[in-house]
Amino acid sequence: MGNKILIVDDEPSIIVPLQFLMEQNGYETMVAFSGEEAMETITSNPPDLILLDIMLPIIDGFEVCQRVRERPEWNHIRIIMITAMGSEANIAKGLALGADAYIAKPFSNAAVVEKVKELLQQKDEKK
Amino acid sequence: MKKSNIFWLFAFASFAFTILVIASLAFLFWQQLPPTDRALVVRLARQYIGYIFSAAVFLLAGLGFGLDWLFRLYILPLDKLAEETRLIHSVNPSHRIHLEGSRDIVRLVDIINEAADQYETLNNRLNSEIQRARAEADEEKNILAAVMAELPEGVLICNTEGQILLYNKRARRYLIGEIGSLESSDVSPGRFIGLGRSVFGVIDKHLIVHALDEIARKLKCEDTDIASYFVTMGADNRLLRVEAAPLLDHHRRFTGFILIFHDITLQMESGSQLNALLRSLGRGTRASLASIRAAIEAIIEYPKMDSGQLQKFEEIIHGETINIGRIIDEATSTHFGSLRSYWPLTQMNARDMLAATAKKAAETLNLEIQTEDVGEDLWLKVDSYAIISALTYVQKRLAQETGSRRLAYKMIREGRFVCFDITWEGKPIKPDTLRNWEDQVVTVNSQSLSSTLKEIIEQHAAEIWSHAYKDSRKAYLRLLLPVAESAENGRIRNLTILPKSRPEFFDFDLFSQPGQRPELDHRLLSELAYTVFDTETTGLNPQGGDEILSIGAVRIVNNRILHEECFDQLIDPRRQIPEESIRIHGILPEMVSGQPPIEKTLPSFHRFTEDTILVAHNAAFDMRMLQLKENLSGVQFSNPVLDTMLLSAAVQPGQKNHDMEGIAARLGISIVGRHTALGDALVTAEIFLKLVPLLEKQGITTLRQARTASRKTYYARLKY
Repeated sequence: MGNKILIVDDEPSIIVPLQFLMEQNGYETMVAFSGEEAMETITSNPPDLILLDIMLPIIDGFEVCQRVRERPEWNHIRIIMITAMGSEANIAKGLALGADAYIAKPFSNAAVVEKVKELLQQKDEKK
Repeated sequence: MKKSNIFWLFAFASFAFTILVIASLAFLFWQQLPPTDRALVVRLARQYIGYIFSAAVFLLAGLGFGLDWLFRLYILPLDKLAEETRLIHSVNPSHRIHLEGSRDIVRLVDIINEAADQYETLNNRLNSEIQRARAEADEEKNILAAVMAELPEGVLICNTEGQILLYNKRARRYLIGEIGSLESSDVSPGRFIGLGRSVFGVIDKHLIVHALDEIARKLKCEDTDIASYFVTMGADNRLLRVEAAPLLDHHRRFTGFILIFHDITLQMESGSQLNALLRSLGRGTRASLASIRAAIEAIIEYPKMDSGQLQKFEEIIHGETINIGRIIDEATSTHFGSLRSYWPLTQMNARDMLAATAKKAAETLNLEIQTEDVGEDLWLKVDSYAIISALTYVQKRLAQETGSRRLAYKMIREGRFVCFDITWEGKPIKPDTLRNWEDQVVTVNSQSLSSTLKEIIEQHAAEIWSHAYKDSRKAYLRLLLPVAESAENGRIRNLTILPKSRPEFFDFDLFSQPGQRPELDHRLLSELAYTVFDTETTGLNPQGGDEILSIGAVRIVNNRILHEECFDQLIDPRRQIPEESIRIHGILPEMVSGQPPIEKTLPSFHRFTEDTILVAHNAAFDMRMLQLKENLSGVQFSNPVLDTMLLSAAVQPGQKNHDMEGIAARLGISIVGRHTALGDALVTAEIFLKLVPLLEKQGITTLRQARTASRKTYYARLKY
């Protein structure tokens, strides 16, 4: 069975193509439209990787990332931050809070797929 | 006439008179004698000619020695005594007389020195009283001056003629950049601002006249807003918004005007950047969006189109989305920095910030702070009050939240950022708690700032978060601040070895300067404005190819040295600097590389000296150096010139030493910065100010009299 990927973004127009893209590459997908929804999904069905937007209402992507990293049992979850903010301080903060990679919007589908594959492969190697 | 010359003239006259008296007596005696006695006298004279001649020589020699003794022990010392006594009671009460002379003279010297001791004590007491009274008066003046200096606006006050009466540092920076810096005068060549100078030298006269006309009209109409506004260019391409307001006396008569400058460069720049961004985004994205929309509408409208056509439309959509992404990337990378909200930030050393934050936390929150040295010289751009208050506020909340009273600071560099970590034993702050802190207005000791923590962080383009250290029980709160460019290093001067003074030069005729004007000639010395200057050169041979390395100058207006209005410029001599001259002035080749050449410096210096009398020590040398560059620079220094060396010789002809050190020691001036152009110019200015009252005591009060006295001095007659 393929790895599970959680896509978190408040914009359906970006979730739809990302979901399609991941499924086409053999991954099982779940979606969340807010930080709270993402936390619920992670708790009930922990994914292998999260494609996480930073700009989310109430609980933002940084906080989701931080909450995930607070739980040792979720250490295996890879996190890719996806954002349109793109400042250097932003990237530094995301990576310091435990994100594994960072992709700026707009992105190429190939770049996202490649990054996902790379991180999941690293994870499998660690096992 | 020189004293020794007077002596020899007197000696000659005495000899001549003695011989005349003896000859007359001998002639009368001869006339009385009968012929037999005359023959006897002739015979005796012939027989004892040797004795008679010896007696005459001894008599004359005795007379000569007597006169010489009288001259050396009485006349010369008395003359010096008069000069030095005048020095004591006019400019240097601590000067004491050391003279060799007769016992009577030495006794007189002792009495004068004793009187000088008493005079000095009395003078000191009087001076300290005056100082105390002046300090009290100055205190209020200083408060006003400090307020003026720290005003965020530039302020300049002029009289009705447009003469500058008062200005603050910011006005100077806005209008001419850094003083004496030619970098700024590249933009506004040779613009100077100074007390007594005309404001029209720095601001277009038409603008001010227009503003004053408008003010006059508003005053007439009794308008409530009597100010007039205009925009002008300042130094370094600054755009200045100027507010002009009138100064009226109690009869509502116009006595001058005040100009207030606001730098609107950034405001204008960010406005035009925003326009440029909107234009580039609009232009670029419209075309691509049009293509995408046309392709998508075609697909929707014709669902049954063949697969080849559909693929073409898909390629268009794909290509244009890439294009829009590229346009946005380009626009934001070009304009993002300038579009960030502007907040005035100043450079601060990271170590200082760490120490200041620790001090405030300890004092206001009673926390125990441990700091770890930064390790390297890091500079940050911060609003220090806001950021330190924000950090204090965060620590207050932190202590409340975690109960921890012991915190440790760590500051490390990570790429283009500095991480300011506040660490403690325990768990990190929860994101929602931190978010709550961020939304609160920063309050320390019941004093509130007008900004929330989040706003202050955004103003600094910073980030804040809390996290736990890996494999440790410690947590941290990190403030991520961008690193600023390192602070500029000051100019470095090497060790300077003091040599003997430069030889006196007289191959430049100071007294035939073309700029002599009769109306200046009759002005009092104490009323005139002066530029006191000095040059440092590669050597002492102006004609032999030696070049100017630096010019330093300071202005004297109303008998006061204007320390704030100085000219200090290093110059690229475009030749090698001899080792022996480096030992004197300490100016190394690397210090002058990149500095402007002489032809660029002199026009600027020329403007600086406008409408002033030039003063220098041994001015003939400096004037010769300037004169040799007249053709190259296109400016001629035709101002009247005074030389402190010649003026000193005029007021103290009995003194042999008229070099700068000698005069300064006599006049009680301490020398600082000798052999830097500006340092020497400042010492010369102090010497000049002390020479003026001495000249006045000799009845030399006008410029013309000073020049005539200089010309008469012994030194002035030397030429080589």
